[in-house]
Amino acid sequence: MILRPYFTAFGLQWKIGLRYRIAVVAGLVAQMWFGAVTLMAYASVYHAAPDVQAPLSLRQAMTYTWIQQSLFTLLPLGCLPAIGDAARTGAIVYDLLRPVDMWNWWLSASLARLLGNAVPRAVLLACVAGPLAMLMGLGAWSLAPPAGLAAAILALMSITLGAFLSATIVMWWNILTARTLSPLGSYAVGTPLAVLLSGMLLPLPLYPDWIRPFLLAQPFAGITDIPIRIYLGTPIPGGVVTGLGLQIFWLSALTLLGRLWMRQTVNRLEVQGA
Amino acid sequence: MSPSPTRTLGAFGLYRRMAGASIIAQLRYPGTFIIQAIGNFVTTLLSFFGIWSLFQRFGSIAGWDIGTVAVLYGLVNVAFSVAETLGRGFEVFGGEYVRTGSFDRLLLRPRSTLLLLLGHELRLRPIGRFLQGVFVLVAGLWLAPHVQWTATLVLPWAVAGGAAMFLGVLIGQAALCFITVEGLEVVNVLTYGGVEAGQYPLTMFGRWLRRFITFVLPLAAVCYYPALFSLHHPDPLGLPIWIGAFSPLAGFVFLGIMVLAWNRAVAGYVSSGS
Repeated sequence: MILRPYFTAFGLQWKIGLRYRIAVVAGLVAQMWFGAVTLMAYASVYHAAPDVQAPLSLRQAMTYTWIQQSLFTLLPLGCLPAIGDAARTGAIVYDLLRPVDMWNWWLSASLARLLGNAVPRAVLLACVAGPLAMLMGLGAWSLAPPAGLAAAILALMSITLGAFLSATIVMWWNILTARTLSPLGSYAVGTPLAVLLSGMLLPLPLYPDWIRPFLLAQPFAGITDIPIRIYLGTPIPGGVVTGLGLQIFWLSALTLLGRLWMRQTVNRLEVQGA
Repeated sequence: MSPSPTRTLGAFGLYRRMAGASIIAQLRYPGTFIIQAIGNFVTTLLSFFGIWSLFQRFGSIAGWDIGTVAVLYGLVNVAFSVAETLGRGFEVFGGEYVRTGSFDRLLLRPRSTLLLLLGHELRLRPIGRFLQGVFVLVAGLWLAPHVQWTATLVLPWAVAGGAAMFLGVLIGQAALCFITVEGLEVVNVLTYGGVEAGQYPLTMFGRWLRRFITFVLPLAAVCYYPALFSLHHPDPLGLPIWIGAFSPLAGFVFLGIMVLAWNRAVAGYVSSGS
């Protein structure tokens, strides 16, 4: 079967992600802490200014924060670590020799790495922040259910697109790494961009009004911001179609340009090491 | 036979040599250093942009003006960057010393292990966070009403106390590695999470978190109270205002407790090497 090598690459990285169970729990504690600090800050800001018409209600802002925290490892923070190592040691030639399409090969590995990290954490945090918080009497602070059945289905579609979009951006970091022979640059550029532009730092709808259209139109919004907006049922200019359209647009644009860049990079790649 | 003073370096002289070697090593790759420092500067500045956007929308953060919040933000970031610069050896202690067994070699040297680990690396990269913190701090003092001239004395004192506290956290984190071998990411809750919590006024948080960052981790003592004292802002929680002039001492007390814990942990150390 022609797709089999890509499934293998996916399966390998997926298992690596699931390997570190203690890291998952440690990450959960850290995300609970950051979530709690952010939530308390939002709560007191909203309560101090009850007259301000914000684009998100307090409950929506809290739900946004929980989902964003639980999907932190889905963000394209830097290149795939295996490719960083391969670029440094010269083992990247093995990837070049494989009789597979290198873009798809790396893409399946990157996607699996993101999902293997994000899925267990997201499920755990959703359980803690959702039903468990409700049972403990913290209902006002908990994760709200989706706006409706249609919103839930559309959000699921949208987050699938978001995961592919994130893996495609990771591909750009991978190519950057192959070009500069060091993973450090991709982390130095990728982490601040991803944290700010995906809405991790502050929900994108809460930024000043003049900058919001730009924030919605840039590719990082497609990873988590658009799926969360659909989940919450907050209006997107032009409706859900714009949201999904933007995601598909960026996915195809970044794939086409990225493939071109990759071909150019591979052609002039100088490998170090014997 | 006592060693002659001309041939043996004092503790400070030794540290200066180790630090000098570390700085030269880091400047070997000036391009990498500059990119990382800029990345650090931009990342931290962007996180202030998030807070600023909240102000734009809600007018104030729960009744606190932007000057006060900027002073808090600058203070905690400057203090943390100083601790990050000094304490790199403790941050990587689990992976690089305990797991590999190379801590045994440090124990053979006739110097304090704390001194040797401080000399592991004098990290230059946090200069980005430092400059950014100073920048926001000065802007905050410019904007805030009722700035006291005593601020010029209290703020450096608070930075020293804060740096001591964060260094204490890093030492405690390293002492934990004797039990866990690998470093635990959970401790990031106290370092990066501490910075996150320290940049908001204490009154915004729920009671359990307020107590935690006052009595367990003396974050309020090195950040919140000195800032109130410098800005002559009465404490909504009812403590007298002069307390801010003395409270940074708590950072040093915390460091002292962590050093005691470290010494106990070293006394019980069993090597994992062969």
